[in-house]
Amino acid sequence: MGDPNVGKSVVFNRLTGAKVMESNYPGTTVDYTRGYMRLDGKDVEIIDVPGTFSLEPKDKAEEVAVKMLRENRDSIIICVIDSTKLERGLYLALEIIEEGYPIIIALNMWDIAKDKSIQIDVKKLEKVLGVPVVPTIAVSGEGIKELVSRIKEASPPDIKRVVERAGGVK
Amino acid sequence: MKLAIDERWNLIDKIAKQVVKYGTYRSTLKDAIEEITVKPLTGIPIAIAVLYGFWAFFGAFAGFFTDGFFVKFFDNHWLPWLQGVFPGKGGWLYYILVGDPTASNCFEAFGALTSGLFVAIGVVLPAIIAFYLFLTILEDSGYLPRLAVLIDTVLHKIGLHGFAIVPMILSLGCNVPAVAATRALETKKQRFMMAVLLAIFIPCGAQLGIMLEIIPQYVGFVMIYLFAGFFIFGFILNKLIPGKSPEILLDVPPYQMPIGRNVRGKLWIRVKGFFTVAIPFVLLGVIIVNIMYLTGFLGWLANVLEPVLCGWFGVPKETVGPLIAAFLRKDLAVAQLSTINMTIYQLVTSVILVSLYFPCVATFAMLIREGKEEGWRGVLQYLFGSLATLTAVVFLWGGLIHLVWIILGVV
Repeated sequence: MGDPNVGKSVVFNRLTGAKVMESNYPGTTVDYTRGYMRLDGKDVEIIDVPGTFSLEPKDKAEEVAVKMLRENRDSIIICVIDSTKLERGLYLALEIIEEGYPIIIALNMWDIAKDKSIQIDVKKLEKVLGVPVVPTIAVSGEGIKELVSRIKEASPPDIKRVVERAGGVK
Repeated sequence: MKLAIDERWNLIDKIAKQVVKYGTYRSTLKDAIEEITVKPLTGIPIAIAVLYGFWAFFGAFAGFFTDGFFVKFFDNHWLPWLQGVFPGKGGWLYYILVGDPTASNCFEAFGALTSGLFVAIGVVLPAIIAFYLFLTILEDSGYLPRLAVLIDTVLHKIGLHGFAIVPMILSLGCNVPAVAATRALETKKQRFMMAVLLAIFIPCGAQLGIMLEIIPQYVGFVMIYLFAGFFIFGFILNKLIPGKSPEILLDVPPYQMPIGRNVRGKLWIRVKGFFTVAIPFVLLGVIIVNIMYLTGFLGWLANVLEPVLCGWFGVPKETVGPLIAAFLRKDLAVAQLSTINMTIYQLVTSVILVSLYFPCVATFAMLIREGKEEGWRGVLQYLFGSLATLTAVVFLWGGLIHLVWIILGVV
């Protein structure tokens, strides 16, 4: 899951070898797509969903994303975040954490963040959130291997602990 | 535990302060391109240049393959060969599949294996490939959203904002995925308006390709006439339909170099879609129209509709055949129009009619499917809403062009 136009479909295609439409503008994916990848010798199902800024849907495509999340209670969420818009991506990630899903974060478009001299302390972010965080450049495939190898580390963090570690919500 | 919205943002602030550092920002070439493509003063001329480039490329590419290769192949080799080897000359099966045994080109023969294949592969396929190639590059580079920013001012007037341009541009390729793309619009009113307007007014790539082949000097006029209709009827629908059209903020993605692998992949998905959906429909269309002709039904219908066709629209009654074919494929219908004996003005009118009149069956099915997204009431609203709009548009906008010809004195 993730905000619109952060590269979810590109990551999906990389993971599954599928060919869903990828474009450089929001709203390319308006429905979900299922695909499969090998993980530790097993076939696991991956679902690509439309982008959404929050779990309170604003349009039909966002509704699809939220509905898929609710219908798949036992899934692991790969949350794709645009590294140049970390705050906005974290909003959705926190909402998913609050719902109690195990989550792994892909900090995508890492190269563009670098171009804009935005530096993100990945280790620190991992520690505060208590979830695996992997920088990726999905269009070229960088970081995808690490993302896959760390999916099994995803566990549902306790939002109270996240708040404590970050230093409160005031 | 759930956080309140404020608490969540405060938490994000705290996290971001700890993990993100901003270095000094250097302006890059990308930023310079960004500037000149979205500022209206430079952006609008650039947009016109890009669109003109699009058009020129489309015409040149399609023309090169169609006129340079396919016309020669189909007319000089395929047609004479088929006319020679196909058994039962003069029989009904021969007529349906090969068509007129005396025809000297694939436009006139009108059999499924002659005109059907020629239209689908010889004329439309090159047009589709050219269109999608250019579109994919525009999409992946990130130019399309910039175009949306520029056009927003105009679309704004009819209650459609920003990314409404995406379904519009997609529909120049094929109306079917375009109708699906309206799902990204915010309110039911906007989704309905966009879906119906584009299904009626925007000709698809297949139709554009064949128009370029048949009335090259009038394609520009037809397009302007259709777009003018799009805005006028959009304006009316916006006033008539209850509901909101909230404004949205556009999020413009960064410019990126299109990646060859992705461009090829997308082009392939779209061309494959054309092969599986369009070609069977083209062949089926030819077969159905031929059967209707052979059974005499077409002739009967032409006489029944003659007062409307000749009186209101000023086109020959024979256009009833193409109008039936247009249910299945608009490209086929336009190709068929070219074989009817009429003046160029009547031809332009009938091409416009084929565009306005009933969306092709694939698009119509998609419209109903989108209605179903809103429940059964949605299906009825989409069905009757689109039919009502359609009827009004065909008679008013289609009749107006006849009036224009009368005033110009060219009838």
